[in-house]
Amino acid sequence: MKKIQHTGVIREYDLHAPAVKAGYGFVIFLCCLAVIVAVFPLIWVTLAGFKDLKEFLSSTSIFPKSFSLEPFAVTWNQLGITKNYLNSLISVAGSVICALIFNGLLGYGLGILKPKGYGVVKKLVTLSLLMPATISIVPLFMNIQKLGLGSSFLPLWLSFGANAMYVILFMQFFESLPRSIIEASRIDGCSQLQTFFRIVLPLSKPICVVVAIFAINAAWSDFLLPYLVLRGTPKETVMVRLFKFSTEQTVNEDTMMRSVVFSMIPPIILFFIFQKQLTENSVSVGIKG
Amino acid sequence: MNRMIQCVSLMLSLCLLLASAGGFAAAEGVVDGDLTCTITLGNWPPDTASAAEKALFEGYRDTMARQYPNVTLVPDYYSYTLSNYVPMAKGGTAPTIFQPPFTDPQLLISQHLVGDVTEALEKFGVLDKFSPSYVEMLADENGRIYGLPRDGYVLGMHLNLALFREAGLMTEDGLPMYPKTLQELAEYGQIIREKTGKAGLVFPASETYGGWLFTNIAWNFGCVGESALEYQDEDGRWVCNFTSPECVAAMEYMRDLRWKYDILNVDATTTDWAGAHSLLGTGEAAMNFAADDSVDQPTSNKGLPVEDFALIPFPAGPAGRYALAGGTCYMFAPDITADQAVAAMAYLKILGKLPFLDDDIIAGMRADYAAKRDRGAPVLPAISAWNDAEYNSAKQAIVDEYCNVDMRLYSDFFDSLSGGTISLKSEEPVFAQQLYRELTAVIQRVITREGADIVKALQKAQDSFQEYLDDEINDY
Amino acid sequence: MSAGKESRIRTHARLRENVTSWLIMVPGLLLMLFFVWEPLFESVRMSLYKTRNVELVRFIGLDNFVSVVSKDDFMQALVNTFSYTFWSLLLGFGLPVLLAILINETTRGKGLFRTAVYLPNMLPGLAVIILWSAFFSGGKSGVLNILIGRLGIPPQSYLTRSEWVIPIIILIATWKGAGATALIYMAGMAGISPELYEAAAIDGATVRQRVFHILLPAVRKLAGTLLILQIISVFQIMYEPMVLTKGGPDNASLSLMQLMWQYAFGGSMNYGKASAVAVIVTLILLVMTAIYSFFNRRESDWE
Repeated sequence: MKKIQHTGVIREYDLHAPAVKAGYGFVIFLCCLAVIVAVFPLIWVTLAGFKDLKEFLSSTSIFPKSFSLEPFAVTWNQLGITKNYLNSLISVAGSVICALIFNGLLGYGLGILKPKGYGVVKKLVTLSLLMPATISIVPLFMNIQKLGLGSSFLPLWLSFGANAMYVILFMQFFESLPRSIIEASRIDGCSQLQTFFRIVLPLSKPICVVVAIFAINAAWSDFLLPYLVLRGTPKETVMVRLFKFSTEQTVNEDTMMRSVVFSMIPPIILFFIFQKQLTENSVSVGIKG
Repeated sequence: MNRMIQCVSLMLSLCLLLASAGGFAAAEGVVDGDLTCTITLGNWPPDTASAAEKALFEGYRDTMARQYPNVTLVPDYYSYTLSNYVPMAKGGTAPTIFQPPFTDPQLLISQHLVGDVTEALEKFGVLDKFSPSYVEMLADENGRIYGLPRDGYVLGMHLNLALFREAGLMTEDGLPMYPKTLQELAEYGQIIREKTGKAGLVFPASETYGGWLFTNIAWNFGCVGESALEYQDEDGRWVCNFTSPECVAAMEYMRDLRWKYDILNVDATTTDWAGAHSLLGTGEAAMNFAADDSVDQPTSNKGLPVEDFALIPFPAGPAGRYALAGGTCYMFAPDITADQAVAAMAYLKILGKLPFLDDDIIAGMRADYAAKRDRGAPVLPAISAWNDAEYNSAKQAIVDEYCNVDMRLYSDFFDSLSGGTISLKSEEPVFAQQLYRELTAVIQRVITREGADIVKALQKAQDSFQEYLDDEINDY
Repeated sequence: MSAGKESRIRTHARLRENVTSWLIMVPGLLLMLFFVWEPLFESVRMSLYKTRNVELVRFIGLDNFVSVVSKDDFMQALVNTFSYTFWSLLLGFGLPVLLAILINETTRGKGLFRTAVYLPNMLPGLAVIILWSAFFSGGKSGVLNILIGRLGIPPQSYLTRSEWVIPIIILIATWKGAGATALIYMAGMAGISPELYEAAAIDGATVRQRVFHILLPAVRKLAGTLLILQIISVFQIMYEPMVLTKGGPDNASLSLMQLMWQYAFGGSMNYGKASAVAVIVTLILLVMTAIYSFFNRRESDWE
């Protein structure tokens, strides 16, 4: 028989008291309620996708009249979502690579190499964490235009290489690595870059996975800069389209709900693949940040 | 040397004359094989457009390819807003052709964000056919022209006849008993709400839409002339006036629609233009202030059968009967070259947007009306933006062929225009969008808080907009 | 002599090492410069100029700030932003702690609870806001109205009530973020040694006393860090009201960042004033962070 482990405040022997036992039952009830609250909206929006415009605006039932998948297929084809998915995929892939390489190297510099004067950079990076990214979106967009990078994925990819939070996550992880291993490799004659790729990187799988998942999710969800850069080009991503729908009033309300469903499917798939890493690793990393 | 130039220019103009005459005779042939450039088309239909509409534009592109084989057309659907246009114009990514509403050309021209097409218009011989009101709208102080009208609209009211029927507001002839005055609007709306449980009137009171519709109501309450919402004083300063008794009365009317008659849709403050059409089109509301150019919205887009739809004139107010007349124009990227301008005009000519009728254009119009009819949108006469009687009547004849509606449901609207029983008025002259925004905030306050202090709210909006006017023009 | 040479070599080696280290950091630094620091600097510069579109017309000192601050909508947005913060602390700060305590107590199904409450955090923010707009729709077909209709309550209107819009937006943000924050607390709670509870229990401490005297003090420092991060994210609220209420009714949900967006893209194209609002938000955040780190200096090693 598997022994049930109590990790919380309530210990096994407490459960002998009826009041505590009832309280424990109540805890389970509240947890179930939290699950329902978290999941119900997703179920609802999927159900709403089966409704047509008139039904969506007038029906007083959560359930649609018919469960035909045709409306989803029509919306998918009419809006050409396949192309947007591919665009999002390209955008996400490049963003993740940039997020890992550039932030990783900067974090390596700040966490392990610590060259003379690194403290200033560290302060600047930490302060950047406090600045909402949208604050300077106007001048940023102008810079991108000046360099002729408009209508290209490149600025979106590179923008993920300049993420203060990822830098700090990397930095803190690297700081926690045992110095002795790194010093040993330096004595063996490895250069700083060799040390990074031969010693540090193989040890950094957990942090890389976490930053990668964060970056995938953020790149998929991002829409303000992508909207300014990609709007009107054949490179529009799923979220750019969704933002256009919500501001430019070109689609009906029912189609909008189906677009919402489409925009949520990849993150949900990602979530179920990586749920262990997300719910365990990310928090143990997040706790330091 | 001088004579040589004269010679060359004479020959050139001769060539041009021949070329244009030739082009007219044989629209199918090459008009100008030498014109080489690329233009991006912001007026291309969106991905969400119907297949028929897309096919129509593909047809235009084919014609263009035959007449101007070396002009490359790049479709680039663009939904213009002032906010998204400015960075594009600055960054050099604006489409060659785009379609702003009539509120914006003067602002765009004064900020040098649009291209000059005077020469290209002259080349096509249409410079003198502009309605004078449009010249005023699309030219700078030196008479250079930066755009041309696409179509005009007049604000009226859309009706959902299914709800009128349910409420017993139909005559035996199948015509709606519709409100002729704003007072009747409130009363009829109340009947509809009581009989059907649906909203009598949908009022999109979000962002700028609420203020936009409210200006028309305010005019009918007398906010014109001395009591105008904005005017230029003797020193040439722009002044706004929202606290006149007329404007207060108009705002009290809005208050009564919500609190006395209770005929507005529930989420009025978050309803936008498309949302208003959705509610009327799906039978959640019976009336919607909307124009003749958006009749396809409730019908083909939102699913209301054309026989359940009617268009009526804007209801009169205690002080008059005005209807807002506006429209959309074509304007051009600020970095447009002379060649691109000519190519753009040629393209617009193929679309039938210049006052010419040749076989292709007539075919284009027919295709357009046929497409409208096929997707269930009413085919109606368009309000012409050109001063060209021959062109206008020829066009009307084609509309009549494709008419798919009971014109009695529209005749009062069009008669009020031709009969002059309604006065057309264009939007407030300066910074209309900002004025609408300020007034929308007041409307939101008034319809969400019972007993809101109307004069105080209007005073606040007036102060705020006056400061805006001072900043943007008076003290510039 | 030999020692001097050796030290010169060592200095030389250290110098080279430093240069290489900086070179490794250069790509990342250039990107930070291009995407974060230079635009921020440019914002500050633009806020001091009269602008026409993106061109700086002339230096006007603090005029943009004076003009922006003197307007009613700025005061409204400022008050709203603090109201957002208040509601966010009220609804969004305690809930993750509570969730964490609850899930931490469970023995069976812990994995399921943890997974489910984290799920909303993965969803795109824009999609979430659009989804919830249908929930709070005021007609009979609004989801919340359907649900309360089952309880016999007549349909209510939500987004037209100025006193409700901010709590509603915070509720949506909390729905999205609370689970993820709860997991961070849970990780903090996992670090508490079970012996502490055992010892307390032997001393006769009730379950409630154990929560208040052992569990909560253990996550106090963590809570401080998460608090400041939460305030920063609340100050970024912008597209939520833009999409859900468009700032209304009557500016009741207008946030500072949204005001910035309106100045820049809302038709007046006043990037100077937009930048002035951005700079004000930046200053408020800096002051808050400074206050936080002042109080936290002795115990925190955050940064």
